[in-house]
Amino acid sequence: MAGFRSWATVIANLLVPVGILTFSSGFFPYKPLIPGLATFDETGENVTVSAVFDKVIFMVVDALRSDFVYSNESGFLFTQSLIRSGAALPFTAYAGAPTVTMPRLKAITTGSVPSFLDVILNVAESDTTSTLAYQDTWLAQLKATGGRLVMYGDDTWLKLFPGMFDRADGTTSFFVSVSFTLGVCVFAVLVLKLRFFSQDFTEVDHNVTRHVPDELAQDDWSALIMHYLGLDHIGHKAGPKSPFMLPKQHEMDSVVNEIYTAMQQQDHLQSTLFVLCGDHGMNEAGNHGGSSAGETSPALLFMSPKFEALGGRRESPVEPFGDMQYYQMVEQADIAPTLAGLLGIPIPLNSLGVFIPDFLEMWDHGSHKLRILYQNAEQLLNTLTTTFPGFTFGPDISTSCASEVPSGIEGAQCAWARVQRLLSDRDEADDSYSTAGPALLQFLRIAQEVMSRTASNYDVSRLTLGLLITVIAGLLVLPATYKECTRHRSSGMFLMLMIITCGMMMFASSYVEEEQQFWYWICSGWIVYLHIKSQSSAKPVSHKRFGSSVYWSDKCIILVLAITQRLLRRWNQTGQKFAAEPDIARTFFARRPEIFWVLLILTYVDAGCRLFRSIPISGILKFGAFAPAVLAFTFKLHFVTSESPELLDGMFISQIMKEWPYSLSLVLHARLVFYGLAVIVLLALFGERSRVARGPHDMIHEALHIFLMTQSRATNVPLFLIFRIQAGILSSMNLTGIEVTITTLIFQYMTFFAFGGSNAISSVDLASGYNGVDSYSVVLVGVLTFASNWAGPIWWASQSHRLRPKNPTEQDPSALLTFHVAMSLVSVMAACTALRTHLFIWTVFSPKYLYSMAWATANHVAVNLLGEVIFSRSRSHYS
Amino acid sequence: MPQDISSAPGASSLTPQAPVEKPSAPPVNILPSLIARTYSIAHPALLLALGATRFEELVADPTKELISALPWLTLLQIFYVIVCLPPAGSTSSTETSASAPADGKSSLRSSGPGGAVRHGKHGKRKQHANSWACIWSRSLPALLSLSLTFALATPVLTILLVLFGAPLTTHNSETVLCAAHMAVLSATALIYVHGVDRAVWNEVWGISRPADAVWGSALGTGLGAWFGAIPIPLDWDRPWQAFPITILVGAYIGYAVGSLISRTPLVYGKRVKFTPEDSSDPEKKTN
Repeated sequence: MAGFRSWATVIANLLVPVGILTFSSGFFPYKPLIPGLATFDETGENVTVSAVFDKVIFMVVDALRSDFVYSNESGFLFTQSLIRSGAALPFTAYAGAPTVTMPRLKAITTGSVPSFLDVILNVAESDTTSTLAYQDTWLAQLKATGGRLVMYGDDTWLKLFPGMFDRADGTTSFFVSVSFTLGVCVFAVLVLKLRFFSQDFTEVDHNVTRHVPDELAQDDWSALIMHYLGLDHIGHKAGPKSPFMLPKQHEMDSVVNEIYTAMQQQDHLQSTLFVLCGDHGMNEAGNHGGSSAGETSPALLFMSPKFEALGGRRESPVEPFGDMQYYQMVEQADIAPTLAGLLGIPIPLNSLGVFIPDFLEMWDHGSHKLRILYQNAEQLLNTLTTTFPGFTFGPDISTSCASEVPSGIEGAQCAWARVQRLLSDRDEADDSYSTAGPALLQFLRIAQEVMSRTASNYDVSRLTLGLLITVIAGLLVLPATYKECTRHRSSGMFLMLMIITCGMMMFASSYVEEEQQFWYWICSGWIVYLHIKSQSSAKPVSHKRFGSSVYWSDKCIILVLAITQRLLRRWNQTGQKFAAEPDIARTFFARRPEIFWVLLILTYVDAGCRLFRSIPISGILKFGAFAPAVLAFTFKLHFVTSESPELLDGMFISQIMKEWPYSLSLVLHARLVFYGLAVIVLLALFGERSRVARGPHDMIHEALHIFLMTQSRATNVPLFLIFRIQAGILSSMNLTGIEVTITTLIFQYMTFFAFGGSNAISSVDLASGYNGVDSYSVVLVGVLTFASNWAGPIWWASQSHRLRPKNPTEQDPSALLTFHVAMSLVSVMAACTALRTHLFIWTVFSPKYLYSMAWATANHVAVNLLGEVIFSRSRSHYS
Repeated sequence: MPQDISSAPGASSLTPQAPVEKPSAPPVNILPSLIARTYSIAHPALLLALGATRFEELVADPTKELISALPWLTLLQIFYVIVCLPPAGSTSSTETSASAPADGKSSLRSSGPGGAVRHGKHGKRKQHANSWACIWSRSLPALLSLSLTFALATPVLTILLVLFGAPLTTHNSETVLCAAHMAVLSATALIYVHGVDRAVWNEVWGISRPADAVWGSALGTGLGAWFGAIPIPLDWDRPWQAFPITILVGAYIGYAVGSLISRTPLVYGKRVKFTPEDSSDPEKKTN
């Protein structure tokens, strides 16, 4: 096979995806879901519990953190008055990570605890398997009873529940699912909701509120769902301390006021339950996704005039008793069974929620209260027995439950046995609730805890198998790697030390978060290594007198390389610890936009000139080579004008942009750029070969250069100019084959971080994923998003072929690259296996594993090896 | 962190002249006197011990502590070079003929007659190595090396520190002071021993000096500073993880380790050399 020295390398590269798939299937466990809709058990107890409410108004305010409602700085003054009067029951609903909207809505509606898989595998519009349309939710239950559902707000609901709503008006949030589709394997579908470019915080909510009076006047619906996005937008844009925050809270409060007043006044809303909740919170920066106290503590309120009868008057505003913890803590999953109980519908089958006991007081009869809890317990028992088929639940349990209550599944068995005993002993009197009730609640809590933990239950044998397969892949290329490393002892040793230290780092959460520091650090070491090498080898040359300029440029060129590396290092601050410190892309360019624009223009001029020079046509047509560069530059201007106009403030460019003909849409403009580049590539592949000086690779590289610039954020574009300088210096150093491989390997990783990447899911840049795409397409958007996030690595992969020494016999880069990828995967997999109970497994190690998958499949197989194959073929043609 | 310790002072202070094919200076030996040999081993340990006692003050206020420690460090280094090292011009120019066998065996030369082959003017010096007159005659090169350390090596090391990742917009005083400490550790002895010998400084720039106590400690300082960056990203939230502290601690430890290791027979006289192809040369791997 072209580009590969041996079949061992080919087999190793086939084994790597197999290892990844095996490991993933054990690491992201599939939770058994009970299909179908729950129904009331008709044959059972003849005590039917009357529903307290027949309608529900469910108002979600995105990112409504608990303190936004409950603290004394809150703008929810009317809501707080309801809490004081007892008409509103306040809670803090714990929302587990990942705290992004879609999995949280899943928890709220199904009552289940979404696994990490829900973040990874998701919602392409065409994909109906991941929607909740076929899962049991309280929405489906309401629908099944013949009710009509109405929905206004975030269109995530419409995607999750296609065809569920009778009337709906979705407002779009920037909701993207990204897939990397690679051959047979579909990996890493990252679903994120971030980057709101919308400038207005009011329009998006006004589109919801304007429907409210009409809907309150109608009586045909049984559930009215509203999802307000404005507060979340403000958080993303300016954080929780933003001056926009309080007015927005007042606005939301007035909506609550309007609805509550209608509930008091209108007859058909007499028994309506009004729920106000946040899907997740936000951290102090206004972002969410992680598991800090601010992110996991949204507010939850149940409101109805009927609750005043409970006499539960509470103080408001209050001080939190913990970090962001106000009033009573409940699980977000508890919403589903509570709603089901209050609305008189069956609890969704896969719910892990526990009916909130405060609402039991809505029923007078103890038998009714007991019935509610018993339904909840039966439903949870059903999920328990589905998940743990090996355990039996009954009144007679052999294990010793008497002395102390064990936890885990045995604890659930004991608690259930106790419930059974108490219920069989009861004497048909009402007060059986006082004894059986607490026992039932205890069982519910234990069962919930057990089930929540199984959400992250790993298949250790699969983990080990996946790890083993990847180790075998590494071992397969070990002989070739060893041979290569012994031929170049010191470079090989450097590579091995790098692989070992990098692998060890994967076991420390802070080094995973700050991985960029390692690559900058190892890169400065490698530059010194190259310097020593070039100094020792260049000695005989420098002694011959070429004149002082040559002498000094030989000596000091390494300083330029070090300076450019230092610039890369500070271009984008990433990671966790130093992420907020000033950098070039965000801080410096914001202060000195003229420097940014000069660099941007220089980069495009350079790209145009290089393309012009590499093109084999002569005559006037040659100037056509400038067309893609000019188009790409105007596209970038266009993009900046529409997406980040703050870069244009007070600049000479902004004067030009005022005159801009806006007839051309961004999509069409991007397509024009891509078509232009496609023509160049076609010309390179099928043009007159005799005229192409260095093979088609130069032209393809130049086209790729412009393509990657188009896919990068505007502030990152000048990085490509720095790459040019670095590539020039490196090619003047006459590196050997293995040195080129190591250099580009280090530069690939380093530039990934220099572009602003990190090992956190929230750093995936989605802004350029839709360039030239007007409808969602998994493959196209996936490829474009990959190119925009891996722009640096792709560029250096292409450049590495230009840096290689001319004699192709003395190198085997694919073996080295495969070995590195296999070893880094092994270390990440081993870290994820060994630390699977670690506190940070879902916030640090799993995202790192996702990134490793992308590195190993997309970057290694699709970019490095494909480039290797193409390049070796083209070289065999042209040399 | 910086490895090309104080390389550019030599390079930039020299204009490129017609290169005379002159082999570079051989490894430098500690003076043969008992005091010199004893103190040369005690000195790194002394520096480390003193540094350890001041560690808490360093963490509390790096700038203040670095300023107040600098004069003491300088005095100690001056004392060290005067007591233990031959000043520039006393050995290097005469031993050029013997520079070829720069391998492990030559480490014994320190006690052998090699040191006695000197220019006539300095010929008798050895017998009076410990006399006050001799010490005074060494003070001048020591002071010269000191001024070059602060005037040239410190700025160069500051630049290198920044290139290796030290903050540029903040912590400027810390960076400069860290560079000053590293320069006193590494460059003072180098300048004292080699002066402005161009061939030597070319070797320093190329990190290709043969290992001896002076070069070993300089290289160790740089390497130690580079490794000192490792604990900074950890999320331990300790005050000593602040910028210059770990670098400086690494530099001090590297200095001591480098200065002791490089005079063991196994390493002495060897050069950091990366083998491009198959070669039987034993090499000292430094990353």
